[in-house]
Amino acid sequence: MPDINFISNDSHHAAERWTSRVLRLGVWVSASLMIFGLLLATISPSLIVPLSTNPSLGNLAEHMFSDTFDPVTLMFAGLVLLMFTPILRVITAVFGFAVERDWRFVFVSSIVLLMLIGEIVYSIFLKG
Amino acid sequence: MSILSFIFLLAGGFIAGTFGALLGLGGGVLLIPFLVMVLDIPMHQAIATSIIAVIATSSVGAAMNLERRTVHMRLGMLLEIATVTGAILGGITANYLSATILAKLFSGLLFFVAIIMLWRIRQHNGQEILHTDGILPGTFTDDATGTTVHYTVKKVPVAMLISLVAGNVSGLLGVGGGIFKVPAMHILSGIPMKAATATSNFMIGVTAAASAFIYFAHGHLNPFVASTAALGVLAGSMTGVRISRKIHSKVLTWVFALALLGISIQLYLR
Repeated sequence: MPDINFISNDSHHAAERWTSRVLRLGVWVSASLMIFGLLLATISPSLIVPLSTNPSLGNLAEHMFSDTFDPVTLMFAGLVLLMFTPILRVITAVFGFAVERDWRFVFVSSIVLLMLIGEIVYSIFLKG
Repeated sequence: MSILSFIFLLAGGFIAGTFGALLGLGGGVLLIPFLVMVLDIPMHQAIATSIIAVIATSSVGAAMNLERRTVHMRLGMLLEIATVTGAILGGITANYLSATILAKLFSGLLFFVAIIMLWRIRQHNGQEILHTDGILPGTFTDDATGTTVHYTVKKVPVAMLISLVAGNVSGLLGVGGGIFKVPAMHILSGIPMKAATATSNFMIGVTAAASAFIYFAHGHLNPFVASTAALGVLAGSMTGVRISRKIHSKVLTWVFALALLGISIQLYLR
């Protein structure tokens, strides 16, 4: 019978702890971008750039680092960051399990990560 | 977007986020009809917003639940492989079975599962039956009772098979996989209800991520609608996780079973 009364220690729950921290950070940054975008759109509607109604990932990155910094791009950036949080959680899980030296679950999480990346790459190619 | 629409979106997102985080279901079942019928948002935009809502619910829930160790991350990752495989094979099922027949079939199944859940509460006087002879041990502190819950996971291959089916049919039925996975983890694998809903909540975001990018690529994501709803969902999810910590597992199982009955009826009436 497996020992279920294990005592939690720092290295044992590295995957959970790291993933929780990364998710918290991702959610707060994403929410801040969306709030800032919505506020900016309300205060200065003239700043809204119509062409960015739905940019591609590359287009969005271009807009983020260009001079035309509009509210819609900010909202999209927040939404895309939120969309990336599930991927971030799988990546941190892979590293967390590696720290715990649980190679079986490093393998399992890596498969989940590969499947996710495959689906996202497919969606980007779909966009052309 | 009018002020009234903005308030309605925030409120709708908040309610969907609260229930989604509480039950591990994502809240799309509530949010999509609300967006389409009340706010007159086109169906594709409503679905895209709902997917964003699922990710928001899942990320907030996972961040808070992982800290409390209610999420069984190892089991979640295992079941995720099965779910994604099922989702990839979804197109094959669609060629063989009509969505209407499938909806009727699963309506009956969900109704049956809900009855089993309610019967088990009555049979065991609200006490959860935990197994110590399984694999992948888990431990968390139940704030409602102040006790530390130790459990192991049983019948992992069966739970994986159900996750595969859940991933396979959820796209066709327009429901999240959580409604299949929570009962599978709780009834078959013997996981406490709070751990089952938290683990499901952790997984639904990963499953939804791929669809989110596809909807984004197709141009169905309205930044004003999705951002406002997402902010409501984020606030609602925090509330949902806090409620789930405080309520007794028996109450959580009751609420889940009633939600299951509601979804079952909705599926039947399609």
